[in-house]
Amino acid sequence: MSGFASDYLGTRLTVLASRLISFEQLIDFIELDLERIMAQVKQRSGYDYDIDAANPRWIEAQLTHRALDEFLILLRPFSGSERRFFQFAIRWFELVNLKVLIRGKFSGIDSSEIEQQLIDLRSFIDLPIKRLLEADDPYEMLRLLETTAYGGIVRQARRMYEEHGNDLFLLDATIDRSFFIDLKHHARFLHDEDAANVRQVMGGLLDRFNLLWLLRYRFAYELSPAKSFYLLTTTGNRLHSAELMRLAKMDSIEEVIAALPEPYQRLLANIGSISDMEMVMEYYSLSIAARALYRRPNLLARTFSYIVLREAEVRFLQALIKGKQLGFDNDLIKQAMGAVA
Amino acid sequence: MLPTPLEMRKVGLYMVDADAQSAAMALARMGVLHPLEDSASGQVLQDYPAAAFQAVYHDLNSRFGKISSFLQTPLQAPLESDELVTLDQLQVLDQQLKQLWAQISALEEKIRRQNEKVGVIRQLANSLQKFSSLDLDLGRLRRHGRFLRITVGTVPAENFSQLRRALSLTKFMIKVFYSSEGINHVVVFGPSQQREEVHDLLQSADFRGLTVPQEFTGSPAQLQADLDRQIEQAEARMQQWRQELSELITANLASLQSAQDLLLRARPYASLATVLRGKGGLVFLQGWVPAEREEQIRGQLAEQLQFPFQLEFSEPEQQEFDSVPSLLKKSWLLQPFQGLVKNFGMPGYREVDPSGLFALSYVLMFGMMFGDIGHGSVIALLSLLFYRRYPGITIVGVLAGMSSVGFGFVYGSLFGYEHVVPALWMSPMQDPVQVLLLAVLWGAGFIVVANLLAIRNFFAAGQIDQACYSGKGLAGLGFYLAAFYAAYQVAFNNYFGWLEFALVALPMAVIVHYQWRQSDGGLVERVLVVFIEGLEHIISNVSGTLSFLRVAAFSLNHIALAAAVFAIAGMLGSFGHGVTVLLGNIFIIVLEGAIVAIQCLRLEYYEGFSRFFSGKGRPFEPLKFET
Repeated sequence: MSGFASDYLGTRLTVLASRLISFEQLIDFIELDLERIMAQVKQRSGYDYDIDAANPRWIEAQLTHRALDEFLILLRPFSGSERRFFQFAIRWFELVNLKVLIRGKFSGIDSSEIEQQLIDLRSFIDLPIKRLLEADDPYEMLRLLETTAYGGIVRQARRMYEEHGNDLFLLDATIDRSFFIDLKHHARFLHDEDAANVRQVMGGLLDRFNLLWLLRYRFAYELSPAKSFYLLTTTGNRLHSAELMRLAKMDSIEEVIAALPEPYQRLLANIGSISDMEMVMEYYSLSIAARALYRRPNLLARTFSYIVLREAEVRFLQALIKGKQLGFDNDLIKQAMGAVA
Repeated sequence: MLPTPLEMRKVGLYMVDADAQSAAMALARMGVLHPLEDSASGQVLQDYPAAAFQAVYHDLNSRFGKISSFLQTPLQAPLESDELVTLDQLQVLDQQLKQLWAQISALEEKIRRQNEKVGVIRQLANSLQKFSSLDLDLGRLRRHGRFLRITVGTVPAENFSQLRRALSLTKFMIKVFYSSEGINHVVVFGPSQQREEVHDLLQSADFRGLTVPQEFTGSPAQLQADLDRQIEQAEARMQQWRQELSELITANLASLQSAQDLLLRARPYASLATVLRGKGGLVFLQGWVPAEREEQIRGQLAEQLQFPFQLEFSEPEQQEFDSVPSLLKKSWLLQPFQGLVKNFGMPGYREVDPSGLFALSYVLMFGMMFGDIGHGSVIALLSLLFYRRYPGITIVGVLAGMSSVGFGFVYGSLFGYEHVVPALWMSPMQDPVQVLLLAVLWGAGFIVVANLLAIRNFFAAGQIDQACYSGKGLAGLGFYLAAFYAAYQVAFNNYFGWLEFALVALPMAVIVHYQWRQSDGGLVERVLVVFIEGLEHIISNVSGTLSFLRVAAFSLNHIALAAAVFAIAGMLGSFGHGVTVLLGNIFIIVLEGAIVAIQCLRLEYYEGFSRFFSGKGRPFEPLKFET
């Protein structure tokens, strides 16, 4: 990247990062009514979103579109393997659609209902949505999906479905697992220093997913240690293969938590449920991304961190606004946003 | 009178529900209605009477499309008929095709799985070949021991590392003995007690084990024969299913033919689902139609509709101009140029259709830049070869070639030879400065015409202030002409007096004042914006005019290239000379011809269209019958 492009990207990132709404701020928004939330969002992010009471999906689409527009701007200075890495990373958004499609078709949900749940990703769409929705049965859809860029991921999902049936968690985890393996593979083609910095941010995410999947596979699905370990994704910062293999052999959640390396042991020590642990781990992985965005000089790691944080912000805001629109009480919204005490 | 897209009328048709499909079919047959979503009547007419019809149509159409991809021979052309399509007819046929598709999809899935199985067996057979040289009793693989379990098979290479680590959590081991094409051929062995747990794990890793048949007692060669037999059987099964699929399609050809006919007739009404509004048996349809077809529409609807209806035509109002679709006048000669215009953008409803001017200036510039009797003739003749498949290329090529021939006579140039044909004017090389000056004059004329068109478009759109005071309006034209005059005085008379200053400054002041009124923001921001835009206006006019120097540059370049070819040819013997001249001319026609064609297009788009043409028009997309 040229000096000019670096300066451009650095400035862009600084401006965009200053507009990010932190998780704590979002939690404070829960106490406000919808109008004041939108005013706060406008004040902090600079974006003015329209609320359509008749169509709650409209605000979700706007939030996603704004984020994707920003990613397009951030991607401009990149080329070659760096660009390919970020283009792949942004596919995370499309995975949401992929999961909606697979779950929907396997559950026999009507195509129009599935369509309503899909996010309009505009130029980021790789999936032939119209043809997929027109599929009359799930296997027809899988055959179609196998011809797309997601063919590898879909084949894994098909195998999981045939093995365990329409279990939403297992299907989602299988799709995410393949995505992270491929993402790490793309990161290998980055320059050494960039790859190391990006891996640091990615590592937090991978630790989070691996630990939570391990807990669920072992203690909710009661799978064997070997199979539980096999279904994990590529390794992250602190939970390396040997560590995960050791944890997989343990017989209770408490035993696993007690054997975790720091800071995970300290963070999860007094938390009872796996879903609460999920939230703490997510918050921690986002704090790693925030550190990289605000304190590290590496532009690739900062860009990747921004994408991670912005994706989480969009998700939290969607949950908050949707909750308010549907008139849910604050505790329920807080739960949906993943706020734990 | 300058050509513009065809005059349009807004049409509103009130009719009874029972006539809606007949109206849709009549309008589709004429191809005259660009449907318009009506927001005003939405509060009163809240229903969408064609919505249910459209939903079934959509499903049927999608299934028909999927099934049609299996047709080995195309269906007969659909029957033309005005017979109405009922919702029941669509539903019945949709159910038939749904069942048919379910059968096809099931067969497809079977074939897919079988195909996958064949792939796995081939991999296993490949594994087995590695044992062929060994004196090994493979029967052991079937006769699982009481304590030891041994399995041979394949696993995708991408899953191998994780599987090996996972197996280390059990008492099993895995060993690769061969790798090929992303597949690892492995032996897995361990204590029999853990076989269930390990089997589950291996399945998740997509492990495919080699199964030793019961009757097998002998060598690897026997097992190989067994695998070959399995592949043969699987392929025979797939062939049988493909045959079944083909027979299924053949048996349902009549249904498919009916579906095609029905879909053709149902399409017009189904496509109106989002625009047709109704309430209590009354239906309202709105859209844009060419004004010249008004009477024909009235007549056809009177003929086709059974019940009374009300038809209203109205002229578009100024605030609607942006939404009125543009339909360009059809012209055989201008059609390919219209295509190039649309590449830039569709002319707005009240904008000038620049196709004619574009065609004329493009062809003339091509000739000026590539003037040669021989080369032009070759281009014109070669273009004729494309007449059947690409008539557009032929028209552009013949006109450009003829223009090239015409300017070839003007320059006296034949296949690069400058002294064979007497020049009607002179060869550009004789006085390049004069040629460059003429190119600038041509450019200035081009820009003036573009400015005049812009002014006309502003007036037509009711943007009077912009037409008078903006940089693209009368003030801009005044500034350009004054600046050109002042430049002439400085260059040729070495004089720049108060008159010249006043002529340039006055329109510039008008433009600046207009920009000042248009901009908002703080004082500094407005000063900056006005200064930069004013400067940009001056620079764009200067650079735009000088851009046309390339017209002269390419005419000189054409001769220089030919001279280079002759210089090389002159160093060779007679055969070499002939070959070099031939290849050189081919090179000039292909390479320089392509460059000149692109440069002409560039001048048209950036120095012409961008000055007067918004390109934001909406294409006229009529309701029509389509298979």
